[in-house]
Amino acid sequence: MKFAYYPGCSARSTCAELNEATHLVAAKLGLGLLQLESATCTGARELRAIDPVGFYTLNVRILALAESHGLPLMTICNTCTLNVLDAHAAFVSDRELAAGVNDRLAEEGLRYSGRTRISHFLWVLHENIGEQRLRELVVNPLTDLTVAAFYGCHITRPPLQYGFVDSRNNIALEKLAEVLGCRPIDYSGRNECCGFHTAAHDERVAIKLTGQHILSAKTGGAQAMVTPCPLCHTVLDGFQREIEKDVGQKLDMPILHLPQLVGLALGLSPDELNIDRHMVPAGTLKAYAAVASKGSRR
Amino acid sequence: MVTSASAPAQTGIDARRLGQIERSDTLAVRNSRLAIGEIIAVRIRRFDDSGGAAAYQDFQVPYQKWMRVLDVLNWVTENKATDLAYRWCCGSKMCGTCAVRMNGREVLACWEAAEPVMTIEPLRNLPVIRDLIVDRTPYESKVASLEPWLERREPYPQFPEPLNHKQMKDASKALDCISCMCCYSACPVIGLGDLTDFAGPAPLVQLGQTALDPRNDPGKVTRSLALTGIFNCVSCYKCEEVCPAGIPIVSRVIEPLKAKAAQLVPGMAKHSFVLRDIVAARGRVDPGALVLRVQGLRALANMPRVIRLLLRGKINPWKTLFRIKTAASAAAGRILGAGVAK
Repeated sequence: MKFAYYPGCSARSTCAELNEATHLVAAKLGLGLLQLESATCTGARELRAIDPVGFYTLNVRILALAESHGLPLMTICNTCTLNVLDAHAAFVSDRELAAGVNDRLAEEGLRYSGRTRISHFLWVLHENIGEQRLRELVVNPLTDLTVAAFYGCHITRPPLQYGFVDSRNNIALEKLAEVLGCRPIDYSGRNECCGFHTAAHDERVAIKLTGQHILSAKTGGAQAMVTPCPLCHTVLDGFQREIEKDVGQKLDMPILHLPQLVGLALGLSPDELNIDRHMVPAGTLKAYAAVASKGSRR
Repeated sequence: MVTSASAPAQTGIDARRLGQIERSDTLAVRNSRLAIGEIIAVRIRRFDDSGGAAAYQDFQVPYQKWMRVLDVLNWVTENKATDLAYRWCCGSKMCGTCAVRMNGREVLACWEAAEPVMTIEPLRNLPVIRDLIVDRTPYESKVASLEPWLERREPYPQFPEPLNHKQMKDASKALDCISCMCCYSACPVIGLGDLTDFAGPAPLVQLGQTALDPRNDPGKVTRSLALTGIFNCVSCYKCEEVCPAGIPIVSRVIEPLKAKAAQLVPGMAKHSFVLRDIVAARGRVDPGALVLRVQGLRALANMPRVIRLLLRGKINPWKTLFRIKTAASAAAGRILGAGVAK
């Protein structure tokens, strides 16, 4: 199974470890990834408001690049996923817009016909690899590792669009964690917002919101949190010192990118997965995985 | 057709729907959950008479056919607690007065089926007057301050005025609002109180009804938008998830209002323009450049984090200072307009 792969900006900068982990895990899973090198940013949340035509063109261009290779598109960032989904939906429902965008793309010989299938890595794991195959591939079951799944917003909402159901029902991450041997915990933050999208001009919202979620995961007994979105990761992990100051207590909650959790179970070492590149050291987790891989647990 | 973006592949599983069946959230299951005469365990948040402190009171309610949350509340008042306070008027999803939180989610009592075990609470983010009744004043005064009406300074071009459905497509969505305030209760930013000046989803929808009407006076819309703090919306879509009127609040109201604000009050959207410039010049977002240009000297207050980020190799000052031309930057420059500095 081969995908055109769009990492997005975060996985190329602050969360470079996510991009590396994705490539390593994809190789283990037998997924071929063709990284779209010339793809641009999808415009985050900002561009769609101030320049809708620019927003659609950048996103449709990414879809057209995938289409030119005849491949489905795989993303690893929630916001990028929603952006390309939105652009695809606008493209196929508005002929005028579609024609205008294709005119712009024609300047570099690209053209989109609306056929690219869009999937996030989390969905690929369920839809293309499947529980059964994944179980066969798990060589280092993370037995009893308690993880709190943090979905983020943009691969679960807006509701009733793109096949999304009530986001409070989501179990895709928990189900996956179970397959990897983990014990997913239930907690109040699982489908809440990290506040990333206003953090560039005011971090306080992100810090206040996320503090509640990490606290609730900690109270629920989580040894780590796992997220399918690098933007959530940036807040949960990158801001955790400030969050600790705000909630007035030490949290020390390691935050894993989804492919890192999968990678650990597939036998990749914490070093290979660059878990040390995070701001919150995942020491406990590292020891766990290292011991686990030797076969003598704790 | 959007099927290409949502069709499952290979395993036959649709990852986006995982949980719907497992958590019994299909219509068939919902309707078969309770048999007539079965006992519903209801826990209602109440103020006790003595000190005004909040407490929960439990009731056993026999299920009747097609019982809604509102019918449960009515049964409780008629049979067990005549002093239970809650609002309702039309009972048919029109008046927007009966919104409560049931099992942690905002619902209209008149439009939600009773569940076998229910905790019913007042809406969040508003002062509670008694039991399930919230004080709507903060919302109403916010709406009034936004002057949500049409103002015409120019004479009408003709009568009837030329106006088509495309020009009204967003305003008409906002006009479906029944002011139930489910979204106001679900909004995480409103939940943070005075931390920001964000007006909140419900007041923005009220504003959108006229501010997104092309006939409105731009000066008037400018004044209103300047008071909304709209760029504090975190785009979490929680409001859309609970809206009983099915209004796409983020995509069809808040985003178009943001677009208007960017046009009429560009200062409010500074970070959006900065991001656009950075993407146009680099093809991708450089987080260092974004934070420096949006926050300016304020970014210095975050020095400890900057140093930590540097030590972990999460930011690269060389990349921030010297940008390299790539295929992505060339494409972004062409699409978003080249020649923008930095």
